[in-house]
Amino acid sequence: MQNSSVVKVERVTKRFAGHTAVDELTMEVPAGGIFGLLGPNGAGKSTTIRMIMNIITPDEGRIAVLGKESASRELSERIGFLPEERGLYKKMKVLDMLTFLGETKGIRRSLARTKAGGWLERLGLADWKSKKVEDLSKGMQQKVQFIGALLHDPELLIMDEPFAGLDPVNSQVMKDVVVEAARQGRTVLFSTHIMEQAERMCDHIVIISRGRTVVDGPLGEVKRQFGGRHVALTFTRNKDRAARVLADPGLIGKVDDYGASAEVELAPTGDADRLLRALIQEDVGLARFEIVEPSLQSIFIAKVGPEAAVAPAHEVVHA
Amino acid sequence: MRKIWAIIRREVVERVRTRTFILSTLLFPLLMGVLVVLPGFLISRSLGTKAIALVDATSDDLGQQIETAMQAARIGKGPDAIPKYSVQRFRAEGRADQVRDSLVPFTGLSRKSAGGWSGILVVSDSTIPTGRAAYYGVNVASFDDMRELEQTMRPIVIAKRLQGIGVDLATVMKSVQGIDLSTTKVSSGRLTGESGASTFVLAYAMGFILYFALLIFGSQVMTSIIEEKTSRIVEVLASSLTPFQMMLGKVTGVGIVALIQLGIWAGIAAYLGSHQGQIMQAFGVEDGGGRLFSLPAMPIDLMVVFFLFFSLGFLLYAAAYAAVGAMCSTVQDAQQMQMPVMLFVLAGFLSNFALMRDPNSSLAQVLTFVPMLTPFVVPLRYSISPLAPLELLASVGVTVLGMLLIVWVASRIYRVGILSYGKKATLRDMVRWIRTA
Repeated sequence: MQNSSVVKVERVTKRFAGHTAVDELTMEVPAGGIFGLLGPNGAGKSTTIRMIMNIITPDEGRIAVLGKESASRELSERIGFLPEERGLYKKMKVLDMLTFLGETKGIRRSLARTKAGGWLERLGLADWKSKKVEDLSKGMQQKVQFIGALLHDPELLIMDEPFAGLDPVNSQVMKDVVVEAARQGRTVLFSTHIMEQAERMCDHIVIISRGRTVVDGPLGEVKRQFGGRHVALTFTRNKDRAARVLADPGLIGKVDDYGASAEVELAPTGDADRLLRALIQEDVGLARFEIVEPSLQSIFIAKVGPEAAVAPAHEVVHA
Repeated sequence: MRKIWAIIRREVVERVRTRTFILSTLLFPLLMGVLVVLPGFLISRSLGTKAIALVDATSDDLGQQIETAMQAARIGKGPDAIPKYSVQRFRAEGRADQVRDSLVPFTGLSRKSAGGWSGILVVSDSTIPTGRAAYYGVNVASFDDMRELEQTMRPIVIAKRLQGIGVDLATVMKSVQGIDLSTTKVSSGRLTGESGASTFVLAYAMGFILYFALLIFGSQVMTSIIEEKTSRIVEVLASSLTPFQMMLGKVTGVGIVALIQLGIWAGIAAYLGSHQGQIMQAFGVEDGGGRLFSLPAMPIDLMVVFFLFFSLGFLLYAAAYAAVGAMCSTVQDAQQMQMPVMLFVLAGFLSNFALMRDPNSSLAQVLTFVPMLTPFVVPLRYSISPLAPLELLASVGVTVLGMLLIVWVASRIYRVGILSYGKKATLRDMVRWIRTA
């Protein structure tokens, strides 16, 4: 297998006792850049990532990481992994903990210690390196976990919901770290269900729902495919009249209503000029009328909205 | 290999650093020390001299002789041994009951008040033919006190009887002299200098150490796996190590900690054993009834056999405990689930008592080939009478195979178990996990 894809998932299926978590999923992560694995809760994101990390094995299909099949452990020196379920040894000192994590990836103890020290310095935790993990705040522990995934300078960084549970400040710090890693030529694969984040960071996205791919492509391309038919609106008065206009099925396909503003997708029979005319006629005090690229959020909801509602509550691992 | 080493190092360093480890390492020898010193201490100090009122209803000198014998009795040996009894004799020929009743009110009171007897001993003329005497006291429930009193009186009563029928006491004493078998163990055609008793102590000690180490350190393996599951650290580790490597590292690490702790204890025990006399003296305790415990010398070949089977047994049971830990999400669940494993440990330990009686019985020979039990059975048998080389080799082989099988099964359970949270696994789950590719 030789091509530029860093992770290659081919027709992979994984079934658990009650249900099929991943269903003939195929995706390729190109080298370099940030790759977003998106989907609602229970879509199979964590299961997919666990299979990529070879923590669990697929029932069917093949997975290759860095050109090798089911060998992610031998390659652990080149891969950084941040699991969804964060975990550290609470009684260990921070620096010892990170050194240990580095060692388990396969790098030398002394090197792991130096690198860990550098990262702690960089993320403002230098004063805490001799403290026990349990003495750290939750946010600091998250940072430590983050360092654990990064400190051996992996060329591939796989992170499961890396920004979940972070406060805005820490979230920003982590985002910068991830973006910088990508800028240095590393490949980042991360999963999330927070679309704003993905929209700002990702070069390439895959949206999965109920174990299947529903959208796959570079972010720009995906948006273009959905683009041209979306209009962003803001009204200043007569919202009820505006709502009546937006309720016309011959004109409007879908409405994402935020009250004073809305993002709409035109119906196949409708066009933007007609919509503008209708709104002016109804005197809604138009403050904004913009033909926009759809937000990832609206693409996401358009694609998985109806299905997400009935998706299984949460992924549970039991083989 | 570097990864496994990292796991082992972490297990050892983090464990040895804990307060629990340091405390238990130091407190256990302290307890041993107390056990060495305390009995002697108790015998010579807390018992003290007992005040006894002797009601003498005899018409001859029996009462007087008993009084003399009791006054001569000492606690411990040496020049400054204190007397066992302080006796006051009341002549009461024909009115023993009245005298006794007059003494009872003063019995059991504090020694400082008038009288203050621990008890009243009544002897009469009928004591010689019937062997009966009466004792009324506060300490009648003390088996040892009563036995000592009887032993003090017995030779006098016997001598009196013999005298009555005209037999010389010295002649009788000479003719009833018993046999004292002095035992020395022969091993591989050589005298070892060990007595039978010390061989027994050694055999018992080996079984106990293994039993103790398996229960303590086995459950440490189990609980630490549950902690790793609870803290979700397993997932990070599972991404860079195979579950088998994780289990191997953990079991080896805990095993090394066990050896460190047992080594420290053995060293301290050896020191205490060989310096027992000085230690007792330092505490001002007379070396009463000889050494309270003595450490038999352990021959090199037995040491090798013990260490080999200890290691195999530890790996086998620690792997089983690891599997139990992987199957559970809470320590409470694990406490139940570990029962089958504990039963084997217990069976192994208890089998030692049966085998000590006859280490070459057919039962012993069968158990020599049961992998879960060999770690207990073989060192015991070897310590008493060495096994044929072929039998020993076969037993090692069977144990290694059994160990590998259990480690294999355990690692398959572990592999799935560590990533499944929530309810504890059932037997069906377990079988399914083992069979999953």
